Amino acid sequence: MSRLDGITPNRSDLVHAGGAGNERSATTGLRSDDQDLLNSSPPSTTQKKIALAMVVVMTIVVVAATPAARYVLSGTEALLPGYAAARLLVELMTAALLIAHFAAHPSPAILTLANGYLFSALLVVPWALTFPGVLEAFGLGPTDQSTAYVAAIRRIGFPLFILAYLARRSAPQLPSGTAASRILTSVLATAAAAAALSWGVIINDDQLPPLMLNERRIAAAWNIVPSVSIVLYVIALSLLWRRRTCSLDLWLAIVLGTLLAEIVLLSYISGGIRLSVGWWTGRAFGLLSASIVLVALLVESMSLYSRLARSVAAERRVRESRLSAMEAMSATVAHEVTQPVASMVTNANAALRWLDKPRPEIGEAEGALRRIVDDGHRAGEVISNIRTLFRKDARDRGPLDIRQLIEDVLSRSRREAEAARVLLRADVAPCDVVVIGNPVQLSQAISNLVANAIDATRSVAEREVVVRCDTIVPEGLTVSVEDTGPGIASDLRKRIFEPFFTTRPDGMGMGLMFSRAVVESHGGRLWVDDVVPRGAAFRFTLPVLGGIESEGRATRNG
Amino acid sequence: MAEPEAVVYVIDDDASMRASIESLLRSVGHTVVTFDSTQSFLEFSRPEGPACVVLDVRMPGASGLELQRELAAAGSAIPIIFVTGHGDIAMSVAAMKAGALEFLTKPFRDQDLLDAVHRGLEEDRRRSRRDLHLDALRERYALLTSRERQVMRMAAAGLLNKQIAAELALSEVTVKVHRANAMQKMQARSLPDLVRMSDSLGAHIQES
Repeated sequence: MSRLDGITPNRSDLVHAGGAGNERSATTGLRSDDQDLLNSSPPSTTQKKIALAMVVVMTIVVVAATPAARYVLSGTEALLPGYAAARLLVELMTAALLIAHFAAHPSPAILTLANGYLFSALLVVPWALTFPGVLEAFGLGPTDQSTAYVAAIRRIGFPLFILAYLARRSAPQLPSGTAASRILTSVLATAAAAAALSWGVIINDDQLPPLMLNERRIAAAWNIVPSVSIVLYVIALSLLWRRRTCSLDLWLAIVLGTLLAEIVLLSYISGGIRLSVGWWTGRAFGLLSASIVLVALLVESMSLYSRLARSVAAERRVRESRLSAMEAMSATVAHEVTQPVASMVTNANAALRWLDKPRPEIGEAEGALRRIVDDGHRAGEVISNIRTLFRKDARDRGPLDIRQLIEDVLSRSRREAEAARVLLRADVAPCDVVVIGNPVQLSQAISNLVANAIDATRSVAEREVVVRCDTIVPEGLTVSVEDTGPGIASDLRKRIFEPFFTTRPDGMGMGLMFSRAVVESHGGRLWVDDVVPRGAAFRFTLPVLGGIESEGRATRNG
Repeated sequence: MAEPEAVVYVIDDDASMRASIESLLRSVGHTVVTFDSTQSFLEFSRPEGPACVVLDVRMPGASGLELQRELAAAGSAIPIIFVTGHGDIAMSVAAMKAGALEFLTKPFRDQDLLDAVHRGLEEDRRRSRRDLHLDALRERYALLTSRERQVMRMAAAGLLNKQIAAELALSEVTVKVHRANAMQKMQARSLPDLVRMSDSLGAHIQES
């Protein structure tokens, strides 16, 4: 008797929902809160493997590009607007997704990171516009230095934003109401800063210390930029590495890695020569680094979306099955109440007709009226029983003698058994354990099982139903209703506890569900076993007052 | 025509429901016999005469629908009025398809039940009259010689004496004699009467 045969956990949720009002199943299929978000879940093994593979590939590319790094690909200026547009779009989209993320979970760190991407994206515009040879037709004047200055600001600005992101990681999550205004303020501030810096650089182009010797070659002063940014990248990288608590940190570390590769390629391997192979490889790394977080965010939102769809579907299923349990219960109520009410109506009609005769038959009318009184009491009893079943605080539970209860049920079922020519007997071990329960509920539950068992023997010649009761350590008390019928086919085992499932052509399929709800609301469980050589046994346990083990006398032979 | 008394059989496992239906039916003068299971009804040897059954669909032991099937299988055409506590459409369709006279949902109007019982008894009465009539015809038909049966079948099919004579290689006078004998034995007053009897006997004639 170790395991519950044919009882699945979700079915037990269902019965709880119908019987004792257990709300646990409401969250089935939904994982708690935001533990799966990019900035709160630790990186998975797969993610770590992908990151490692990216590092390896980048190293190979850098090494491969080194020999031809300084070879200038003339005329490739034409590709620059396309490159700039791609970078602008990717970084803007990343910023937008991060802002959306912030709107849902207002963490200041995420907003900082979003603004970093926004700042970087916005500076792509002046960078591309001032790039020598790109838009000369606009006659923007001498902007030889502006491009380099804008690039320098972008280059140094982005790791600063990442450092700010890391610094604000521990900041508490903001109340969600303030998110919109914070987004607006920070976006405006970032845009204003980007615009002001670009403007300042462009109008002061000729007064700034030169970073470029000519259109393609860098000046000595430029050397500060890569060294400062490399220092910043390394600091940010080491901080990220030390505190890599979430997958976003892992991806940011890769972003910084590619940026590092980019600056090394741009400034050292290519010797600072623009439009060279090394320079273009660096640019490719730049685009890659801009895309990494975007891709990670898109993957995250797609997987979140599909998970949401799944959990919504799961929740709907739970709701539907709970609904059908409710329907089953209301059908039980309707049936139990209809019977006496119908009888009352017919008796009343009969009484009226007896009295309406030319010679009223008082005796007959009186008989009908007496039956109405009985039916009224019966209906009231049914209603109060049903109310007992539905009440959460089963107030009228008390210590009860399970043996007496079984005897009562059997004496009530006797007539039914005789009609079906079934030998109905009890095999109740003498035990003096005390069960706390509601006698009406429990006898109804046993009576349902007995009725099912009698019904099951209909197709066989040897018809016998035995109700057993014994105490078993540590389950408590076990009541079994065994029949000599054909037994329950294994594929039906799970389904028999469902509402409206029945093997009878005219059955309602509610008895078992009702019994199980009662047993489980008493802290027991109900399952079905095979009987050797044939037949089925429906067994349920009930906890015993004080427990079996502490109650020394309540043993099998007690 | 002096007929045996009509009986209404009420089968319901609910004692109070059974008593109430019985009382209602008796109050309008029906003779009622009640049963608490379909089994006890099947074991009861029913007397001759018109009858109908008021049957609860859902009962322990054999259900109402099963009883309907069993009665049909046994060749009994007794009209059945179903009453049910829950108006299950699928179940009522099954019952009506299998030839139930009426399907009433509890609580029902008394007049509905009384009307249904009245119709049921009326139908059964008609059927039993038909049966009695047919039995009488068969008895009479059994008295006919095989030649007379041949002549009767052909005459009923609309053949003239001359045609029958040619068909059976008899003289027309002999055919006339056989035909007169058949009419007399069947107690037919006219040729159309004989044709109707022939129709009623139907398959019975074909067999012989």
